[in-house]
Amino acid sequence: MPTFTINGRKIDAQPGDTIWNAARLQGIQIPYLCASANLKPYGSCRLCLCEVDGQRGYPASCTTPVRDGMVVRTESPKLNQLRRNVIELYLSEQPEDVLHASEQLRTYAAQFGLQKVRYRRSGTSGHHLNGNGHRHNGHSHGKTDQIARRDYKVDDSNPFFIFDANKCIACARCVRACDEVQGTFAISMSGRGFASSVTAGNDVGFAASNCVSCGACVKECPTDALVEKAVVQHGKPEYTTRTTCAYCGVGCNFDVGVRGGRIVSMKPVDASPVNWGHACVKGRFGWDYVYSKERLRKPMKRVGDQWVECSWDDALAMIGSEFNRIKKSHGPDALAALSSSRGTNEENYLMQKLMRCAVGTNNVDNCARVCHSATVSGMMEVFGTWAATNSLNDLEKTKLLMVIGANPTEGHPVTGARIKRALRRGTKLIVIDPRRIELCRYAEVHLQLKPGTNVALFNGLANVIVSEGLHDKKFIEARTENFDTWLEVVKKYTPEAVEKITGVPAEKIRKAARLYATSGASMCAHGLGMTEHKYGSYGVMTLCNLAILTGSVGRPGTGVNPLRGQNNVQGSCDVGSVPVYFTAYQKLSDPLVQAKFNDATGRPLPERLGWKVPEMWDAALEGKLRGMWVMGYDVAQTDPNLLKVQAALGKLEFLAVTDLFFNETCKYAHLVLPAASFVEKDGTFTNGERRIQRCRKVIEPQDGIIPDDVQMIRVSEMLGYTMNCTTSSDIMDEIARLTPTLAGVSYEKLDRGFGLQWPVLNMAHPGTSVMHTEVFPRGKAKFAPAEYLPPGEEPTGKYPFTLVTGRVLHHYNCGAQTRHSGLIEFVNRDILEIHADDAVEHGIADGDMVKVTSHRASVELPCAISERVPPGQLFTTFHFPDNNLNTLLSSSADTLSKCPEYKVCTVHVEKIVKKSGKRNARSHFPTRKRDVHARILV
Amino acid sequence: MPETKAIERRIVLANLDQPGYTPDIECYLKHGGYASLRKAAGMKPEEIVNEVKASQLRGRGGAGFACGVKWGFIRADEKKPIYLICNADESEPGTFKDRQIIDRDPHQLVEGMIISCFAVRAKLAYIYIRGEFAGGARILQKALDEARRNNFLGKNILGTDYSLEIYIHRGAGAYICGEETGLIESLEGKRAYPRIKPPYFPAVLGLYQCPTIVNNVETLCNAVHILRMGGAEYAKIGRPNNTGTRIVCVSGHVNKPGYYEIENGAWTLGQIVNDLAGGVRGGKKIKAIIPGGSSAKVLRMGEVIKLRQKQPDGSMAEKEMGILDIPYDFDNLQAAGTMSGSGAIIVMDETTDMVKAMNNINAFYAHESCGQCTPCREGSLWLQKITDRIVRGGGRASDPGLLINVADNIAGRTICAMGEATAWPVQSFVAKFRDEFEKACEKK
Ligand SMILES: Cc1cc2nc3c(=O)[nH]c(=O)nc-3n(C[C@H](O)[C@H](O)[C@H](O)COP(=O)(O)O)c2cc1C
Ligand code: SF4
Ligand code: SF4
Ligand code: SF4
Ligand code: FES
Repeated sequence: MPTFTINGRKIDAQPGDTIWNAARLQGIQIPYLCASANLKPYGSCRLCLCEVDGQRGYPASCTTPVRDGMVVRTESPKLNQLRRNVIELYLSEQPEDVLHASEQLRTYAAQFGLQKVRYRRSGTSGHHLNGNGHRHNGHSHGKTDQIARRDYKVDDSNPFFIFDANKCIACARCVRACDEVQGTFAISMSGRGFASSVTAGNDVGFAASNCVSCGACVKECPTDALVEKAVVQHGKPEYTTRTTCAYCGVGCNFDVGVRGGRIVSMKPVDASPVNWGHACVKGRFGWDYVYSKERLRKPMKRVGDQWVECSWDDALAMIGSEFNRIKKSHGPDALAALSSSRGTNEENYLMQKLMRCAVGTNNVDNCARVCHSATVSGMMEVFGTWAATNSLNDLEKTKLLMVIGANPTEGHPVTGARIKRALRRGTKLIVIDPRRIELCRYAEVHLQLKPGTNVALFNGLANVIVSEGLHDKKFIEARTENFDTWLEVVKKYTPEAVEKITGVPAEKIRKAARLYATSGASMCAHGLGMTEHKYGSYGVMTLCNLAILTGSVGRPGTGVNPLRGQNNVQGSCDVGSVPVYFTAYQKLSDPLVQAKFNDATGRPLPERLGWKVPEMWDAALEGKLRGMWVMGYDVAQTDPNLLKVQAALGKLEFLAVTDLFFNETCKYAHLVLPAASFVEKDGTFTNGERRIQRCRKVIEPQDGIIPDDVQMIRVSEMLGYTMNCTTSSDIMDEIARLTPTLAGVSYEKLDRGFGLQWPVLNMAHPGTSVMHTEVFPRGKAKFAPAEYLPPGEEPTGKYPFTLVTGRVLHHYNCGAQTRHSGLIEFVNRDILEIHADDAVEHGIADGDMVKVTSHRASVELPCAISERVPPGQLFTTFHFPDNNLNTLLSSSADTLSKCPEYKVCTVHVEKIVKKSGKRNARSHFPTRKRDVHARILV
Repeated sequence: MPETKAIERRIVLANLDQPGYTPDIECYLKHGGYASLRKAAGMKPEEIVNEVKASQLRGRGGAGFACGVKWGFIRADEKKPIYLICNADESEPGTFKDRQIIDRDPHQLVEGMIISCFAVRAKLAYIYIRGEFAGGARILQKALDEARRNNFLGKNILGTDYSLEIYIHRGAGAYICGEETGLIESLEGKRAYPRIKPPYFPAVLGLYQCPTIVNNVETLCNAVHILRMGGAEYAKIGRPNNTGTRIVCVSGHVNKPGYYEIENGAWTLGQIVNDLAGGVRGGKKIKAIIPGGSSAKVLRMGEVIKLRQKQPDGSMAEKEMGILDIPYDFDNLQAAGTMSGSGAIIVMDETTDMVKAMNNINAFYAHESCGQCTPCREGSLWLQKITDRIVRGGGRASDPGLLINVADNIAGRTICAMGEATAWPVQSFVAKFRDEFEKACEKK
């Protein structure tokens, strides 16, 4: 480790580190504008110049590597003068009014004692000087006096930030962030010399470029040339509060900036081991729904056809009395509750406690049921566990990544960006997906399988690995069982046989198998394309089989890692908000668990296993289930076979809904209660890498909204059960007491750093980043043989297309939050993607409205021709309720976990021809919303 | 220097002005072409490097870096691919030598490149040619094709196990693409932003982060002659450390502007201007000379140069002389406080308005600054703005001082040497012609 002297002080540096960074890490701040700890050395502003003994001139400290024994000075009258000159040059071209010049420049001007800018604008014949500046946002003036001036129009096309080129100092931090951190390459420096400026796309402005609005550029900009609109409007934050994003399962850390009691910005935290200072458009900017006018603010009850506002007391009393009534007349099992994987661990825990202790039923579930439940049952079978085996940081260590049924650059954008960074460093990639997702561009091989054929494909990969002798015999011997029985099944799945089932060429299967088996550190990341199938659990098992076959688990850079959809899919299940387990999948039938539970809560665990979500609908239709409380889960939009769900909801005697917005489910409710948003409450979320992280109250709940946890505590009281834990920290302590894998979790420990990754076995335990290094929870991992069985529906003459549903970057599941945010400016409706060949065959043009019909229902959607879907397949999203898209889907679900088969549904399409005129019914979206097309064309 | 008249000594330009000399391979072969390559094919790469070291050849692109030393940076056990790039971006104002070779004797360059590639074990080489040289690119392409057909290029050259490909890459009209690291970025398909240093030498980390030799056209041509004569013999031409010949491009107010190949150090600036370039037009007096391309510091007629020269016995002696008496080579011009740069000699007669000339140069650098670093991007513009306002009669008494101040804040503070290229002319013009600048500032 090199040691050097800086301003008389001896400090250590990492080998290869620059003077600037080494000093920064020791708290010595050398003036800078273009340098950033998140970016590669660049050296353009020349503000960080320093003096080095024995070296001529004034090297830039941000690009000069530390040498052992080096003697560096970063302050001297000469350096101060040089810096003053740089700032003077900058200021000479900043907007006329010095007050409008960037704050950072003004601060430095004061620091270096710059009194007066000696250069003033005056005539020049340099007509060519802004020859490159003749851009859409720049225009030259007739007067020579102003020719060489920056005079650009402000680009405010992005809904969330502006770009004012007049303030830009051409440091290219934004460009470098877009390239190096986000990997989108949306912006570049254009023009040269004085006319250098930032250009989005092919000089089309930010909104129409391929910018994904991640905000990395805005964060890097030192001059506010790029700045959040909210900051422009409300001012810079006075203070910040750290919290965890409430969108996807990546779980990015943010500093929420507040001014005058109002949130004005959310900036990703540089030191966070989850997102390392990066973010996506949803987390970074999509928090504005918190201030949406449409948020529910007062409880409302249904009186006849009318909704009538009521007091909080009345509302909570109503839940209490209705639940009491139904319990008395039909028993506790006639009641059920649904909590949300978007809620905190503490809320989810309280919900199951409410149902188990106060009501006396196990009828509690959450929306994880409809996404990753198959991951749980699959991984349980092979490993005996239910969570990602490794960590996001393992992406730095893996040599080969296999992405299956996931679209990280949209669904988990921060992980997606990180994957792209890994790929640029040389990590190899296999993509397994029916769609041609963005990552396919960088993949060694893309296995474009027919939807619903995962089991066959993974068996095929295993077949190649075994037949070519690439399996890890030592690992299999030492740490697994059931190999021989399993092998019997896999033997049949030769690449040629699998090609027939999956449509993936045998050679590609071989290539992928070899890559996976021989990289040295292979890691899998899977999404809902893996789980939302009739045999989703088996698919997950066959994937886990591959990992143990090649010894790709229990080491850094390997493992099987579900990319969790919602922020707290992992946690909501961990804390027992599921009908068949207690916390951390402890069996309800286990006497030890029962005793523990009784001890802690003073109530026995109910005996009958509860209903899973889809079973609840059956029960409601049969009249067995009569009352429900649904919290933060829009079942009437997101569950499959919606008509059935809606009918079931309609049959309930009492339905209470707590939510941020008046969602589809509210339409069937008798009582609607507002919820507190993630910035209005304390708690924890557990991200996809098992990291329990704090969600902190940033602002008081608006309009006196009673937060969800208090709602439950008060209802519990009315049902005759007093919750003994009231603060979220107390609740976590109770969870820790009852759950071996979470035994060492406490708020105090969580607050010390960036949360804890379970298992955290005791108070001294630091948490676990790589699981199964020595043993599996079930002892040895078990090869789980699984035969391929066809999906619930297969294309027929009448329904020739397979419809796959999923998400887009700018929206989040049912869209409850994102539809009430500026995000709506990017994408304002669901669109059906169709392959060009199919479009031609059905006479469909880009932008036509089409009718999509399944066995169950039909919906109308605008159609876009897309390169992402292969012929015979359609893709659409389910973010917008107006289409009732999920009415198309069947109730078919994973045979083990009841995870719905969202990914396979057969349909036919027809163009909607307007009866009156010759012209087709055209939708409004296509041409103007350029980004929709940008995202479809990969 | 004896009273003899300066004459050319043509080595690199030996053939191209001969009547009937054509750029095709037959003609080149008839004139003994590719004999050096055949010789090289029988040598070991390190033997060639040693010959070049012995020749003391210095780069002709501007910086005058010792060529053998540069090649010596390539490690014998290098695992990465090694590249060689011919810098044919020739854009320094006043310079027009490389294009003569490219257009009229392309095979000399190709042969020089092949020998050089063999010496540094490069298997892939590029000619980065200035975008405006469209014709030159076509001629070179034809030459490469011919060389390939004759097995001088491609697989197993001349039956050896050495194979080489050379590709031509055309620039798009930016001066900065001549700066070697900007050139490399451009070749990689990026903006030609010069790279930060360290790494100091592309020979260590160059194209695609692999060792890369970048040499000027003229430099590479000299490899042909070094192999022909042997390094030691070549070193006898010129003076120690300033060996071989130099193609100088004389322009400005002279009777016979043009390119002249001279023995290094054999003739003075005055002899070149008067004997070779025919003296100043219309019998006017010389006012100033820029001796090495627009980036070089200007010399004022009448200033006294104190030249420290190495004597034959090794001792140093200082000699006072006028600017016309400076012997033209690397070391002497450097000792005179300027440089031989790209070999472009720009002569200005007594009628020249130095402020206007300065403004012209400033406009060039403001236009060509790549815009990456602040002092050059903003500073070059201010230099131009200031001279421009002086020329237009809007100058202020403080302007000469301001010019110096801006220039001082560019030189030594930038990522690439363009900073110096921008500052040096200003520093020297204002220092040496301060009276003219001051007078111009009074004009309203
Ligand atoms: C701004 C700038 C422009 C340059 N332009 C050229 C050029 O056009 N041609 C050239 O050969 N070298 C040019 N150089 C020099 C190159 O960077 C490099 O030193 C040279 O190509 C090395 O070749 P040599 O050692 O054979 O001279 C330029 C340097 C700078 C700083
Ligand atoms: S917001 Fe993100 S994607 Fe868009 S330009 Fe900035 S860094 Fe690039
Ligand atoms: S917009 Fe900001 S970050 Fe980008 S170049 Fe300009 S000043 Fe730098
Ligand atoms: S000195 Fe000028 S040309 Fe060189 S990198 Fe800086 S801005 Fe570009
Ligand atoms: S911070 Fe080092 S040059 Fe800008």
